[in-house]
Amino acid sequence: MPHKMTPFWTLYGLRHGKATVPWPRGASIAPGAEEDAACGQIGFLGMPRFDPDRCQEGCRECAEACLPAAISIAPPASAERVKVDYGRCVVCQMCIESCPTGAFTPSADWAFAVRRREDLLWARAALSEDGVALRRGIRRVFGRSLHVRHVDAGSCNGCESELQALGNPYYNLHRLGVFFTPSPRFADLLLVTGPVTYAMHGPLKEAYEALPEPRFVMAVGTCAVSGGTNGGGYACGNGLEGVLPVDVYLPGCPPNPPAIIHALLMLLDRMPQRVRAGRQAES
Amino acid sequence: MPTALIIAFWLWVAGLALALARASRAARWVIAVGAGAGIWGAAIALPQGGSATTLPIALADQVVRLRYAPEGLWLLGFGLLPAGLAVALSTPIRGARPVWVAGAALSLIGALGVFGLQDTYSFLIAWELMSIGSAALILSERTTVQAGRCTLYMLALLEAGAIGILLALLLLARSVGGSVDFAGYTVAGDALSSGGRIAVGLLALFGFGAKLGLLPFYEWFPGSYGNGSGASGAILSGVVLNAAFFGLARLLTDWLAGGSGAFGLGVLITAVGVVTSILAALYAFQQDDWRRLLAFSSAENAAIAVTCLGASLLFRADGLSALAGLAWTVAVLHLSGHALAKGGMFICADGVFASSGSYRLAQRGWLRTASMALAVGALFAAMSLAAMPPQIGFVTEWFTFQTVFQGFHLATIGGRLTLALAGAGLALTAAVAFATFIKAFGIGLLGDEHEPAHPRVGWGYEIAVLVLGVAILTTAVGLPVWLHGLGMASLAQFGVDAPKAMASGWILVPLTDTFAFISPSLLAIVMPLLAVLPLLLLANGRRYAVRRARVWYGGMREDPRRSSTTSLTFSNAMRTFYSFIYRPTLDTAREHRATNYFIRKLEVEHDVADVFGPILFTPLRRAVWRFAGWLRALQSGDLNLYLGLIGGLLVIILALTLG
Amino acid sequence: MSESPEATGSAMSPQHLHTSGFAARVQGEDVALADLEQRCRTAVSSGARTQFVYAWYPGRLEDPELRYVLHPRSGQPPQVWRCRPGAESPPSLAAIAPLLSWYEREITDLCGIRFRNEPQPLPHVLLPGARFERPPLLPGPAPRLIYTPDDLDLPEISGPRAADVQLLPFGPIRAGVLESAQFKFFYIGEAILHYHPQLFFKHRGMEKRFEGVLPSLGAVLAERVSGVGSVAHALAYCQAVEAAAECIVPRRAAWLRVLLAELERLYNHLHYLGHLSHTTTLKVGEAQGLYLEELAKQINCIATGSRLLRGLLTPGGLRREPRLTEIAPLLRRLGKELEPYTAMLESTTSHLDRLISTGELARQLAFDQGATGPVERASGVDRDCRRDQPYGAYPELSLRVALRKSCDAHARQQVRIDEIGYSIELINRVLEGLPAGSLRVKCEPPPDSEGLGWTESPRGTLYYAVHLDSERALARVKIKSPSFSNWRVFAYTVHDSNMMDYAINEASFGLTVAGCDR
Repeated sequence: MPHKMTPFWTLYGLRHGKATVPWPRGASIAPGAEEDAACGQIGFLGMPRFDPDRCQEGCRECAEACLPAAISIAPPASAERVKVDYGRCVVCQMCIESCPTGAFTPSADWAFAVRRREDLLWARAALSEDGVALRRGIRRVFGRSLHVRHVDAGSCNGCESELQALGNPYYNLHRLGVFFTPSPRFADLLLVTGPVTYAMHGPLKEAYEALPEPRFVMAVGTCAVSGGTNGGGYACGNGLEGVLPVDVYLPGCPPNPPAIIHALLMLLDRMPQRVRAGRQAES
Repeated sequence: MPTALIIAFWLWVAGLALALARASRAARWVIAVGAGAGIWGAAIALPQGGSATTLPIALADQVVRLRYAPEGLWLLGFGLLPAGLAVALSTPIRGARPVWVAGAALSLIGALGVFGLQDTYSFLIAWELMSIGSAALILSERTTVQAGRCTLYMLALLEAGAIGILLALLLLARSVGGSVDFAGYTVAGDALSSGGRIAVGLLALFGFGAKLGLLPFYEWFPGSYGNGSGASGAILSGVVLNAAFFGLARLLTDWLAGGSGAFGLGVLITAVGVVTSILAALYAFQQDDWRRLLAFSSAENAAIAVTCLGASLLFRADGLSALAGLAWTVAVLHLSGHALAKGGMFICADGVFASSGSYRLAQRGWLRTASMALAVGALFAAMSLAAMPPQIGFVTEWFTFQTVFQGFHLATIGGRLTLALAGAGLALTAAVAFATFIKAFGIGLLGDEHEPAHPRVGWGYEIAVLVLGVAILTTAVGLPVWLHGLGMASLAQFGVDAPKAMASGWILVPLTDTFAFISPSLLAIVMPLLAVLPLLLLANGRRYAVRRARVWYGGMREDPRRSSTTSLTFSNAMRTFYSFIYRPTLDTAREHRATNYFIRKLEVEHDVADVFGPILFTPLRRAVWRFAGWLRALQSGDLNLYLGLIGGLLVIILALTLG
Repeated sequence: MSESPEATGSAMSPQHLHTSGFAARVQGEDVALADLEQRCRTAVSSGARTQFVYAWYPGRLEDPELRYVLHPRSGQPPQVWRCRPGAESPPSLAAIAPLLSWYEREITDLCGIRFRNEPQPLPHVLLPGARFERPPLLPGPAPRLIYTPDDLDLPEISGPRAADVQLLPFGPIRAGVLESAQFKFFYIGEAILHYHPQLFFKHRGMEKRFEGVLPSLGAVLAERVSGVGSVAHALAYCQAVEAAAECIVPRRAAWLRVLLAELERLYNHLHYLGHLSHTTTLKVGEAQGLYLEELAKQINCIATGSRLLRGLLTPGGLRREPRLTEIAPLLRRLGKELEPYTAMLESTTSHLDRLISTGELARQLAFDQGATGPVERASGVDRDCRRDQPYGAYPELSLRVALRKSCDAHARQQVRIDEIGYSIELINRVLEGLPAGSLRVKCEPPPDSEGLGWTESPRGTLYYAVHLDSERALARVKIKSPSFSNWRVFAYTVHDSNMMDYAINEASFGLTVAGCDR
């Protein structure tokens, strides 16, 4: 190797200037292509949109192509023939390819964080907003800042990859006052990924025990919300269901960094919830 | 001579007799009461010192006189408090008690003589009594198989040292025309050539250094202390160490005062003191046995006092009497505080041993079950040895630094440089000593355990430690008052009342208040007040009920005992950093299954290497053995050879008498 | 890049093209139980390397069959030994081929087959204290797992100073956003005497999840075994199914698969450099590495709609066309930033000082214990299955393989830096010469068929062995992940090292837990 002078990294860094996107500071941006471009998600395929009116009677194609059983065919007497649970969706897009009538269409909807699990189930009538006031006091307790302890309860490392990306210069999570802490002892939020394996069940509970009050729990990724494709089986649970009380659900496989930022800020009442009854408000 | 000291002497003699009659319980109390009388006698005779008493005996035409100098009484008094408590508690090894108590009585009697006797012959006899008493202490206990060998080795070194002292005193005697009375030695310094003065100084440094644990002798300390009990350590590190220091200080400051060569001697003694203190502190930190750790630390503290003595010589050589007096006073103060604190720690160690049967520094959570008495006493003692305010160890350490910092008053660059380097060396020592006592207290006493596996520390130990702890704090807080006890001594030796200039009201200053100041007295009031703030915050912050969670081990429930800090892990970073001194070894042998890739068992061995052992003591010991091997030829068991030898001797005697 | 793509294409013999057929490219033979040890000894002494062993239940019966997969020599097709132990206990081959020990113990855990003379006959994939009513991989519904946590199997510490050795348990929830795994260190202050990585906290039983799934849907599952290896896993899976179906993927799809695989290598290696800089506290280097990774992920997103490149691979080709027109300028920009960045990493002494001589992995150890990917190539083992057991369009796209011989963390960084450059070359070659044509062919493996697929993932060689049942559903899928191999090797570089180097050493291996635990 040729002998070179040790490079001057500080200068190198300064010369590159600021890499961080302003989003979500430009709060006027509405969901859509413009926002996707503003937060680096051009081309992102989010949760498929569902239009039951296009559904063909007797067709089961989508349900059969849906590995995590997010789409199921209800018993004949039910109000809706096809039940869609976005809490189980792994965004594989197989339903879109399998549907002969176009009832499922691709979308860029990624900001799927909700406070109530029911909001991830597609329903004709949107639920009332009462659940939103659930934790209004949170601003008073935490101000605008939040300390997060992440627990990988058996994820595929996809969610971790995106959580790690939050620290990169592009998203620069610290600027929003959110920090990952090494120990649960000084964390406000337990951020859980993965379907909760038998081996991580104990450590997860232990981490929750070690969290000081007031404490919150966020399920990040479809695995943590419902188990997804990987849950169940001989070694896994079905996400945080019945394990810990969850304050925010964020399905996605994996949810992209802006979706995680949205979920964190939503917990702090700094961004509104966008999804109700399984779809974004505007759509 | 104070009557109380005479009472003490006879009580100790009575104790010795009782011990030899195997009435060790009575002997213990008699000796302890004697120690109390000794403290009382020393205290009331200050600050003037005792008047001279001539004993009705003579050794080789030399009348035997006793006279106690103020600094002698001061050091004796501070040494007797831990010694008295140690004897009252006695060694925790029950079978050893009769001999041990006799040894303690001998040591105390010897020390009393060393402090007061005023001629070469009787002084050396007292010195020998003290050494034999010390050896008896440790030999009686025999906690390990090697104890005997180590103690005899110690005795051999002390004898070599005694010869050094004898030679030094004889050289002094020769210079004043053959009188072995110490009264004459005060002018010996002027009579000697500068070479002679340095020779006497070196011989004394060697002789007294063997007992003080100066370079290279600090290495034998843990070998012998480490085989005895804490009670032995409390006597050896207290009154015996103080007596040896008194002997050295008197020789250097009283008898070798002034004249050419004093500067060189001062530099040499300072250097020996500093290097010893650094090495002893570094090795103390690596020990995982209470006694070995404390023994190395004793050598370190003696070396700090010797460094001050060196500084005193340097100042005096430049005619800076006030600073010389300051340095000398600081040295005396340092050892007196050390005796109390070290005694407290040694007695703690005995308490631990009496309950657990081991002197190992390991986390056993002693303070969980102990009363506040042990907690407070041990905390004060450890704080003092770690030089934390407001304890006496902090005060004397601060004074030590203030003394060497004033090296800029010296005329020559050499002198200034010596004290500047000494300051740097002492700073390192202080830092390592701090870590050492954090380790001793944190791992040895605080360390947690869920279910204590041992009975709590006995109440006798707790009370003794508390008494010493309170004495430490009292000494520090009242120092502006107590200091006057050394005023006359300083005046007599340096013509300056340095202790008077060291206190300004309740503030302590290094002669002048423009340089620096502290006040343990005020700190003792202010420091508890500082605790009020966090307590208020705590009281205010309880919005949620207290919920206790387990120790966080990454989500697992681990055994905290298995993963707690061991004495070695605490000190290993230093071992790595100072590997050029320690030359540490770490050997890991692995046992495998099937192939090398499947590890079944690890065998671990680690150690640090001594500095002087391999280059000095081991060759010396080998040489002695080899010599002894040759001499064995004389004991062949052959009758004809013995007859031949006797015949040869007769011829020589006849030749000498007839010729 | 001198050859035009047409010329490259025509120069290839047709049987090399885009096939990964089991029958054509893998030699299978039955080996009697009694001959197993002798055969293994002969194979190892002739320079062959065992890859993995797994058990499955042909015909969904309770009589298991063991499958040993070996590489006779570089450039030759893999060998598969079939062995039916019946009621007998098969011999452990771990003393001959040490890397097989973990696989054998996994078989014991999940299939209940015990091996004779296993050097460490302890649970491996299951945590101590976990057990089943019946072996979980036995065909049928998943059994219940009973778990009462128990102590780990750690070597005994002896000697008079044994009590001085401290045990540091670290994890499974570790500081930072990291995957769950517990590490146990026997240490004395700085010096690590022994290191035990307790993995498999994330064992999800993914192999069992494939059971009964249609081969066409299996890729969705394979993508979710290891998130940052989505393409490699799905591709190995698809190639295994294609081998079973003897299906030939259209040339355009094969080329695009190379593009996806290399995009995956690119963002993984960039993340690696950022993370490695983090451990050497080179802050700007870390930020830049992670920033470049983010750019690479955004390129992935534009091309495929998924930042992890999911949702395109399927047996028989690709599910849809990626958007390629927009990514070319972004890739050029990325390439321009990369050059000075890697050059600076390679000349920063504070960074290199921490890497050079850290975590040395001797060549023999790397070979014996099955180190794979950049890890083995940094220890002088010249293997890369893109070249040695070519698949897909790699034979058409002249490929460079990075190799270093200094065996330390620095060598591992150098190999990855080189591979970043080579990946960009490959991506550009694909973008320039992408053949036109269809994207997908029908791929329906016949009943009771089987196939072996492999890829060179960013972390090393990845295998999928696929068995179908009589109803054309998946009966058994075995995943041999590169991290499983590299985790095994890694521990040997930690014994007798020190704590300060640990994080750097671990980062220099670039391991994932999800892929290893499955």
